[in-house]
Amino acid sequence: MRKLAKKRLKKNFQQSLKYLVLVFNDFFVLALIFLFGALMFWYAQSMKVMPENLWFYRPIVGALLSLPIFVGKLVTLIQPADLQFLLPEDENMLIYLAPMLKYSLLVPVICLLFLAGILFPFATIKALVPSLTYVIAVLAVLAAKILQLKVMEYNLFFTRKVSLITVNLLFLAIFTFALIWPQTIYIIAILLIIILLFLLLKPQNVTLFDWRYAVKQEQNRKSQIYNVFSMFTDVKEKVPKIKRRKYLDFLLPKSLAKENPNGFLYRRSLLRNPENLNLLVRMTAFAVLISWLVQNWLWALGLSCLVVFLTVYQLLPMASEFDDNIMYRIYPIESAKRGQDLVMVLALALIMQWLIISLFWLLILPINLQLFEASGLLLIFSLLVGRLYLPIKIKQRKI
Amino acid sequence: MLSYKKSKFIKRKTGIMVLKIDHLTGGYAGVPVVKDINLEIKPGEALGLIGLNGAGKSTTIKHILGLLRPQKGKISVNGIELSSNPSAFKKQVSYIPEMPVLYPELTLQEHLELTILSYNLNKKKAKKRAKELLQQFRLDDKLDWLPIHFSKGMKQKVMIVTAFLADTQLLVIDEPFTGLDPLAVANLIALIKQAVDNGKMILMSTHILADAEQAISNYAVLNNGTIEVVGSLQQLREHYGLKAADSFDKIYRILNQEQQHA
Repeated sequence: MRKLAKKRLKKNFQQSLKYLVLVFNDFFVLALIFLFGALMFWYAQSMKVMPENLWFYRPIVGALLSLPIFVGKLVTLIQPADLQFLLPEDENMLIYLAPMLKYSLLVPVICLLFLAGILFPFATIKALVPSLTYVIAVLAVLAAKILQLKVMEYNLFFTRKVSLITVNLLFLAIFTFALIWPQTIYIIAILLIIILLFLLLKPQNVTLFDWRYAVKQEQNRKSQIYNVFSMFTDVKEKVPKIKRRKYLDFLLPKSLAKENPNGFLYRRSLLRNPENLNLLVRMTAFAVLISWLVQNWLWALGLSCLVVFLTVYQLLPMASEFDDNIMYRIYPIESAKRGQDLVMVLALALIMQWLIISLFWLLILPINLQLFEASGLLLIFSLLVGRLYLPIKIKQRKI
Repeated sequence: MLSYKKSKFIKRKTGIMVLKIDHLTGGYAGVPVVKDINLEIKPGEALGLIGLNGAGKSTTIKHILGLLRPQKGKISVNGIELSSNPSAFKKQVSYIPEMPVLYPELTLQEHLELTILSYNLNKKKAKKRAKELLQQFRLDDKLDWLPIHFSKGMKQKVMIVTAFLADTQLLVIDEPFTGLDPLAVANLIALIKQAVDNGKMILMSTHILADAEQAISNYAVLNNGTIEVVGSLQQLREHYGLKAADSFDKIYRILNQEQQHA
């Protein structure tokens, strides 16, 4: 089982690396460096003017230091097929999970060291936490993370499941208050280490492994990771979770009379497939946010036009969404017309997007004649993109 | 055989309908799986397609549905060829796959509406028919459910309901009994019988002959990608030299021996 675990970990690491290379592309790294530089500059400037030893500094240091506990879950790499093929391996699952637990520590430890490094000047100079106490606090957080992962491991067996929310809140509370009296952190660290040693050295009573729970937990964990990756690149392993969203049904035509099969499908996909709806919502929110930041109707108009264009551009792949569905190919649906039908749906989506952006403009920008002109111009741009650009693009791409 | 009165009724209702597979050779990536198949199904006829795994049943079905391009030969329904007029051809065919395939974004109600739209059905009549089918398969209280909430058997029932709702001339059914409860199996058999009585054409691939023979009288045996024989179960027994005491499953052993010696 240990061999299997290591083999899976190696494959998982390679897959993660593949996506991380795509996520941390040149532009993103450059943007991160600038952002980090700006943050550090602000931090350094603030340190100069900040008063020393205010009562809330230590709880802040403690709370911030405990954040890596919330980063990362227990990586198990358990697959649905294991329900069939590893079912009699219950008693060996602890052996399987041992290297998994170590691997699961990788990201939280990196986060902890990074955060601890950044916080160190503030903690020692402004919050007046002694250096040794600070180091002990960092080690205690690490011990707490290991303990949390052990709880996750414990939950994988048929036992009374321990609530992770409770565990996390407990750790947050402990570390927030522990640094107020630096000595307490020594006691907490010792206690955590004793509990860990007890758990690690105690012979485990093998109970039934909760395979279905383990599969579900791992699927949820992977889904969260893929969600992050998919913000930067296409993730083929990602399975979108369709949601009913009944509250959006008012956006669907009430009668079938004016419907066609392609439009019928695309409308529902846009509203219920999180890949599509999230994109639309995210882009609309982005347009509102940058409009609020620039506080100028001309800039807001220009940037919102760009967002409208990018929204449509990213939604175009919807055209081939049903190509792999065997029933779509068997039903007498005119797939040659799907491009035109998608244009109709997206053009309507753009009008909705224009309406929402314009309403927010009324709330966040100074109301004057120019703002109404900007709204009118954005509507014209949305119509042009929907009725002129999209049909041309569809033709070019032979959708 | 159909009675004169019934065949006249069918002819009036359906015109001269026939599924014709003419010298079909096809398969995947240029490798022929089915070789020179000839098959004909007339109105009011249900034909069972039987054979071992890998004999070419699914490949034949995929060709009929237009999912694979034939290397040679033609497929037509009522004289309309699949290759020259796919849209008109598909309007006459509905399909129940072995593994249910639904749209994750659509509720059960919307699957029915999509079928009405795609097959251009009379909405009033179709909704009435849908209600009957849904009640029959105990799905009438699940109209607002997404496929994610359905069990495998329920999904299969949705496939059956939409296929029979489409009311096409040809119904292609691939291994329909797996995952269905006995009540649903009985309902499906009744629906097939009813469709046959109404002059529809049925092509069904199955291994479960005990259920199939309640609705199907003729069978085509596929082996090594060719049709060895077409006939009733009795005719098949005679063709393969089965004694009265022999189980019908012996045919599969004979087919296996033939495959090994091919």
